[in-house]
Amino acid sequence: MPLTPTLIGHYSQGGAQAVSRQNRLPVDATAPDTLLVATTFVTDTANRDLQGSTATELPTLDGCMQYRKLVWFYFRNRSDSTSYRVLARATDHNGAPLGAGWQELATGTLPGASDPNASYWGRIEIPSTGDGYYDQYRIEVQRTAGSNYALTSKIVGVR
Amino acid sequence: MQPKVCLVLFSFGNFNRAWTQILRNLGIDYTLCRATGFSISASIQTPQGVFTAGSPDLRNYFRQFDAVILCDNTGDLAATLLINYSVFWMSWNAPEDPAFLFFNPHFSAAITDSGYNSNFPSDFPIVRPSPSDIAGTLYAADGGSATSVDPLAQTDARARGMCILFLAENIRAHVQTICNAHTNRIPYYWRLDTDKHSTLVSTTYTHRVARNGRAGEILAVPAPPISSEDTETYPSDCVVAYRYRNIFWLPHAMARTQRAVNLWDADVSPFVFWLLYGLQLAGVRPRYRLPVQIETSRPLEALEASFNPPYSLREQCDFLLASWDWMREFARRKGTAIVSGVVLGGRDRSAISTRHWGILYNTNYPAEAREAAMRVHQILVAGHREGTTPCGPHDYTIGGGGGLWGSAVNTGYRRHAGRQRGTPNDVPIARGRCCVAPHVLPTGVAGADAQTVQVGDTEMVEWDFTGRTSGTGTTFDLPMDNIHAARMIIEGHIDEMLALGFPDGYCAGHRYTNTAANNSGGECYWQALKEFGFRGVRSSSNCTGINIKRVPPNRIWQGFHLVGDEAVDNCSSGAVFSRGLYLPSAPAGGDAVKHYVLDHGSDISANWATGQVAAWRAYRRLLCQTTSIWLHGTVVELSSAYFHPNQSLMCVSLADPVAPFEGWSRLGPYSTPHYNHAVELLENMDAVVRLLPEYLYWGTITDVMDHRERVMGG
Repeated sequence: MPLTPTLIGHYSQGGAQAVSRQNRLPVDATAPDTLLVATTFVTDTANRDLQGSTATELPTLDGCMQYRKLVWFYFRNRSDSTSYRVLARATDHNGAPLGAGWQELATGTLPGASDPNASYWGRIEIPSTGDGYYDQYRIEVQRTAGSNYALTSKIVGVR
Repeated sequence: MQPKVCLVLFSFGNFNRAWTQILRNLGIDYTLCRATGFSISASIQTPQGVFTAGSPDLRNYFRQFDAVILCDNTGDLAATLLINYSVFWMSWNAPEDPAFLFFNPHFSAAITDSGYNSNFPSDFPIVRPSPSDIAGTLYAADGGSATSVDPLAQTDARARGMCILFLAENIRAHVQTICNAHTNRIPYYWRLDTDKHSTLVSTTYTHRVARNGRAGEILAVPAPPISSEDTETYPSDCVVAYRYRNIFWLPHAMARTQRAVNLWDADVSPFVFWLLYGLQLAGVRPRYRLPVQIETSRPLEALEASFNPPYSLREQCDFLLASWDWMREFARRKGTAIVSGVVLGGRDRSAISTRHWGILYNTNYPAEAREAAMRVHQILVAGHREGTTPCGPHDYTIGGGGGLWGSAVNTGYRRHAGRQRGTPNDVPIARGRCCVAPHVLPTGVAGADAQTVQVGDTEMVEWDFTGRTSGTGTTFDLPMDNIHAARMIIEGHIDEMLALGFPDGYCAGHRYTNTAANNSGGECYWQALKEFGFRGVRSSSNCTGINIKRVPPNRIWQGFHLVGDEAVDNCSSGAVFSRGLYLPSAPAGGDAVKHYVLDHGSDISANWATGQVAAWRAYRRLLCQTTSIWLHGTVVELSSAYFHPNQSLMCVSLADPVAPFEGWSRLGPYSTPHYNHAVELLENMDAVVRLLPEYLYWGTITDVMDHRERVMGG
């Protein structure tokens, strides 16, 4: 396809390719994006997300449709038992959730609770199987025993 | 020559990301170097290798930088180790050596390390603090009271404040200042060895940072009081900032805490002034200066008697008139633009006096109040036209009072008349029942009422609006979660702005507005605002009342700016208006001291009735607090500070509303000291701008958005 001077294009497949909404500029699809780095003070408060919010309709991350999977890395400096919950939902093109509430993707005990050395590095894939492509995610943590502690998280998005 | 500094720290676990965020915003290149320990035997890990702290190799490595910054500090004078390795650098004073910036340095006499003590320069003129003789080695600062929490911590309240006199510049400015702190949580200033200082001052010294060509220079001291009421004085040998050769001894600049700026554990960095001042002293010339500007919410409104304000509607308009006249003149002189969010909805939905339209035109209010309000309004309109007081929409009458997309449905929404989406036109108010991307839409499927809608980079064909249109009437229940509603609301806003006499509805050339409740809505509102010509809006991190969006302060959505918010009022919103600096009977948050938790050890409340100095103490702390928040927004977040004129100015004297603070010599309502927050805050920030000409300038919200595009990702 010939390029016209007013269009952005690129060369691939042995020739010039015009860029359009359906034929976008090629990008490195394997490069993950850092989506969140946060320190959460984990308490026994219910429905508290990684950013400290207990507003249950508030997402921890928004605009995630382009990501096939999120990877949640964390470091915890105490071994106190902690439960976690990963929620997700889709929005329409206006950014409005399709409905109230969330789809629960995962729940359980945050790994690291049994480590006697108190500090633990963890990695959780969201979703654990298959692809995500949800628009919004909410990740909640709640200490179920022991004392409050700092949980430092990094979440990357993988296309 | 690109500006470049080196940051030395021990642990990333308590490294405050604001250090590097600020440097990135200023366009200053930086290198992080990690100390392997605290003692003099520690090594410094650099990108070019690991060097022992006192080695010539490290000295040569440092010479590539404009400045070396020590990031670690402590609030425990009894600590025997922290930055002991840096003692060698205090003697690296050749012209080729960089400036060294020590912020809240730990050089306590409690350090037992013989290597440190023997290498500490014998002619260094600041007395080393001793935890066993604090009174003999330091000066208790800011009244000498203990803070209820760690005074060095990063927080948005509890300012430890002082008016500082900067000697070379001959400028007084209120900035949060703590030179050293101890476990007793009392802030301290330093004591100068005047003999050693005299020797240094008479010693010729050549280095690019030695402005006076001498080996020693007092940079800043506590400013002498300007009133006999203010009895908080300091001896002549008290200093807060000093240059020893090329070594800058400066107050606390940054808490040691792991904070991720622009994400959700961000907090105000209250001591950031000293970092900027230190960098400027060190001759680090940033690529970019940062624009300073301020906004207001609700520039014209008056509280009715039911709120129990101290002034009538007319009197409130009078002090607003004087204050806006002053602010417009200030903006003219400084070349800034004070953006305001005008409360809309008064014409179509609610005509009460807290709405701009209502106080101008509601005949239920006294004619004299409406006349005074009109004078304020005319200043705003004229200022909008000349560029000093640009105004934009700010609407609480939609979405349950929460602003754009503040609720799922706005029950009983009353729309404007005329234009494309006003009465009597029957237009969509919700997305079509079917929405399909055009490239997968089969031919002939879309209904006759199909229309193409683009939000961001998503394009959809929508159709079947049956039961999803406004009808021809004025009032209906409006679903707020879609672009059709957003367009209708914003079109109505612009129509009301024009009807009020403003030439446009988006702060003139700035194409911006200060949104109600800091609520920018969501994608559909951002798209609609773009379509109406907006470039950005103020936006809180939690940007809708129904909690479905999160907007970090560095967000630029599809080229549209979501500018963070930092409130600098002198009362809480819940308290409705300010009763002044302090009033014992004020409700929670109803005065500045209660709002910002400024009453350390009751050293204001317990002395209020008997000690005139308490008012000056409250005054200092409030200015330090609000200036810090403003400066944090300017430098760290590239966001926007704002206040509410009517609420914050309710404590002025009607006899001269824009008079400076004069303690008990000039009283406002409640027989407490007059205080004009606009005058005092802007003048103090101007002092900061004048102190930092290489780093700050009075600009506009356009300059802020321009700079965000320069240094922020989308």
